Formats: sequence, C-alpha cells, structure tokens
Amino acid sequence: MGDSQYSFSLTTFSPSGKLVQIEHALTAVGSGQTSLGIKGFPQKFHLSDQADVKLLHRIIRPSNGVVIATEKKLPSILVDETSVQKIQLMTTNIGVVYSGMGPDSRVLVRKSRKQAQQYFRLYKEAIPVTQLVRETAAVMQEFTQSGGVRPFGVSLLIAGYDDNGPQLYQVDPSGSYFSWKASAMGKNVSNAKTFLEKRYTEDMELDDAVHTAILTLKEGFQGQISGKNIEIGIIGADRKFRVLTPAEIDDYLAEVE
Amino acid sequence: MGYMCWSSEIAYSGGMARFAADVPTRGGFSFDLCQRNEMLLKKGNQLPTFRKTGTTIVGLVFEDGVILGADTRATEGPIVADKNCEKIHYMAPNIYCCGAGTAADTEAVTDMVSSQLQLHRYATGRESRVVTALTLLKSHLFSYQGHVSAALVLGGVDITGPHLHTVYPHGSTDTLPFATMGSGSLAAMAIFESKFREGLTRDEGIKLVSEAICSGIFNDLGSGSNVDVCVITRGQTEYLRNHQLPNPRTYVSSRGYNFLKGHTGKTGEPYIPPNPRR
Repeated sequence: MGDSQYSFSLTTFSPSGKLVQIEHALTAVGSGQTSLGIKGFPQKFHLSDQADVKLLHRIIRPSNGVVIATEKKLPSILVDETSVQKIQLMTTNIGVVYSGMGPDSRVLVRKSRKQAQQYFRLYKEAIPVTQLVRETAAVMQEFTQSGGVRPFGVSLLIAGYDDNGPQLYQVDPSGSYFSWKASAMGKNVSNAKTFLEKRYTEDMELDDAVHTAILTLKEGFQGQISGKNIEIGIIGADRKFRVLTPAEIDDYLAEVE
Repeated sequence: MGYMCWSSEIAYSGGMARFAADVPTRGGFSFDLCQRNEMLLKKGNQLPTFRKTGTTIVGLVFEDGVILGADTRATEGPIVADKNCEKIHYMAPNIYCCGAGTAADTEAVTDMVSSQLQLHRYATGRESRVVTALTLLKSHLFSYQGHVSAALVLGGVDITGPHLHTVYPHGSTDTLPFATMGSGSLAAMAIFESKFREGLTRDEGIKLVSEAICSGIFNDLGSGSNVDVCVITRGQTEYLRNHQLPNPRTYVSSRGYNFLKGHTGKTGEPYIPPNPRR
C-alpha cells in the first residue's frame, strides 16, 4: 500500500506514547451525528440440558434482538432525504450504523460485505458476528499502520443476530472493538450514555428498546424529531436485519409521546 | 480471481507447484507449465481424471415463469460417482442455474457468481436480474477460454419478466423459450421439440420437464437416477428435489442367504479353540 514516496506510515507515535492521528480521528467521530445501539438479553434459565435451554429461549423470548439508531440531519431542507440511508446491511443478519465521516463508512461497509461473502465461500457458513467485527476492525487497524493512508474517521456500531444470540459491537478508528449492552457515539455521547445507563434494563423487549432509543435520541435533538430525520434499524429472533420505514418510525414516535 | 493454472492437476501429482506470489495477478490462466506437462505426458505421467456430470439438464418458459429440470447422476468415466447429486444451483432467490460439464467447475462458477450477485444486491438495494447473472458468467468463462468446462442452463424471473438462457464453456450464450444441455440433451430436446408450446400451465410444464429428463435418464448412459425440478415464478421459487424417483434401488431380500451344509469346503484339520482369558 502507498507509493514509493509514501511507503512510511503517516500515523506515528508521539513522545507520550499516543498515536495522535487516532486521537484526531476520535475527535472527528465525536463531532459526528449521534448514533446509538441497544441490545436485548435472553433471560437466564437454570437447566442442565443445553438443547432445552435453546428451545426455551426461542419460545419464551421471541422478541429480543438489537436496535441501532442515528440522527439523520441533512445539511439543507433541499436535500432529498429518501436518497440518504445511513444504516446499512453487511449481511442479511448483520447491520451497521456509524458516527463520523460518511464516505469513510462506505468504504468499510463495502470491504466488510465482500469479506462476509468470502467467508461464506470458504466455509459454507454464514459469517458469525464476532468474525465480521474482527475482520472489519483488522481493516481499520491496517490503515493506522500502512504507508500513505490515514485512519478512518468513523466509529461503527455493528448489530447482528447469530447462533450466539443478539450482539452489539462498537469498532473505533484504532481498530479496537468492544461488545456493549447499550452504547452511543457522536456529538451527544456523554448525555446519551448517562440516559442509557439509567434507562437500560436486562430484560428489554425489542419494542421497548426502540422506544428507549427514540427517547435517547430526543434528549439531544435540536428541532422537531420525525420519521424523516432519524433512522432506526432492528434485528430480532427472525435474524433479518431491517431498516424501519419513516412511516413505522412515526408510529413508534406517536407511541412514545 | 488471481493466478490459476489449468494444468494444476499434473503439477500436483508431479510434486510441488510453484506459484509466483510476487507477480501481480491478471486473472485468466497462465500457460507457463504447458511445455513441462507435455514432457511429463510423453514420459507416461497420466492426468488424473475429474468427475464430470454426463448430464441431462433442461429449462423452459411457461405462462407464469421458468421451470428448470436436471437428472442426478455424476460420473467419473464409466463409474457413477454420485447417484443423487444436486445439479440445480442457487444463484439468487429468483434465479437458479443447472450445470453440466465438470462438476467442480459448475459448482465453483455458480458459487462465485452467486456471491457477486449478493454483493450487487447490497450495493443497489434491488432484486438481481437474470441478464446480470448471465453477463457475469459469460465474461468469466470467456476469460478462461473454454478451459472452465461449465455448460449451464440459467433461468429466473425478475422485474423485466421470465428469462431462460444457455451458457457454453467458451462464453457464448443463447436466449431461448426451451433449452437442453449435457450428454442427454438430444434425448431431452426430442421431447421438447415435439411437445412444447407457448403458454403452458405450471402442471403441464412440470410434466413436460420431467418427461424430458426421464428421456435423458433412460436413453443416455451419462444421465440417470432421479429428476430434480425447480419452478420459478414472480415472487416465489419452489425447489422440488427428487420430484420423481424412477430408479428405485432394489435390495436383496431381507430374509438373508440360506447356505446348505457342505457349501464351504473343509481342510480336515482339527479345530483348536483360542486360549480363554484368565
């Protein structure tokens, strides 16, 4: 990667041991639009037989899953909001939202989609969420150590549902990733996280999670919130990631008020 | 796709294959080892045989969409390698592809294009079109100049309507209302040519496809076993695996064999029982 002029990395250590470019990338993320994710949890049963446990999860908790949401503030009222979709699919059961620079996230989504397909071609198995997160994070790390490139200016929230249940991961420009029960990124991150800490309960249903997500976004929202200026993606036990239509979001908003 | 050597079978049987990892990949085949392979053949090194699907595959367009059919025998020369293999491959929810020729080639090429179609669906947000699959297949096969031995019947229904195409190993394609490929294609085409008409109903179409495949199964040595059918209409696809089983396996009677005394000759030596355990 990089021409002969730039075969050295532009991300170098400072005397204090920090990678300043990554810090700046995190600043870029922090000034991006707020996005958040909430994971629903399966309840814990004390059973000796593992097979029975899985069956019970499916019967008793059909509505657990993951919600991700983001503000969709457009630079002008003249922009056609139907042409913009911030929440994207990586596979049929994994979705992603970002905070930071949109074009950077497009590159990552494209690479991750391809990696998911390559995984399937090699193992004939749908890629588990953790594997896809790991590979995406590896790409982001590559760009902090290669010649002539800069780190990505986005943090991603990856939501998926696989054999290990619902999962929510955050990936940072440095390439580090964490699993979260609920998380927020972007402009209003500290307020949003405080709100989530108060509101989050372990046995949230998917609908409740959507309501909580909307309320969290509302906290720092400037202006009138509607189905046109926020985006919500959900995935439930049916394992199909889906972006809600503006009409559906308006319904949820009506319920919340 | 990168660096691939068509003569890799010989290379592997001969010893280590040296792949130049530092040469930039350009796709298609590299013919660097051809001279060496000729020399090895003269010396007596035989190419290992590969499994082919001596096959009957068919497709036809009916009033609501497309019906594909295939037999289920995979052969390795004169030997039946798989009595019930699947020759109708998934490309997209609304597009399926029957494959004749070298089994590995048809599998690999349909898997690859299926993956590419999925990525395209994510990028565009739209249902895949049959012509997209067709163009991806033909450009891949053309770039390998016929060495990827895959002869395909591609069918599906998309927003522009039902489509049926045949793809040949060198990369040429035809668009047809009914098509047959494989070693049993003549037997199947005879059935189609006499009985096909436009605007068949679903049941008529399935019956005609099954008849054509059966004709291939019974009259062509390279085809046999069962009939697989796939019905694709707007919004729905039905994969009828083993729709007909006209060659049931008859096993030896479960009563077992009855050997009379004296069947087995005796040496006359005394029987010494083995040492009992202490």
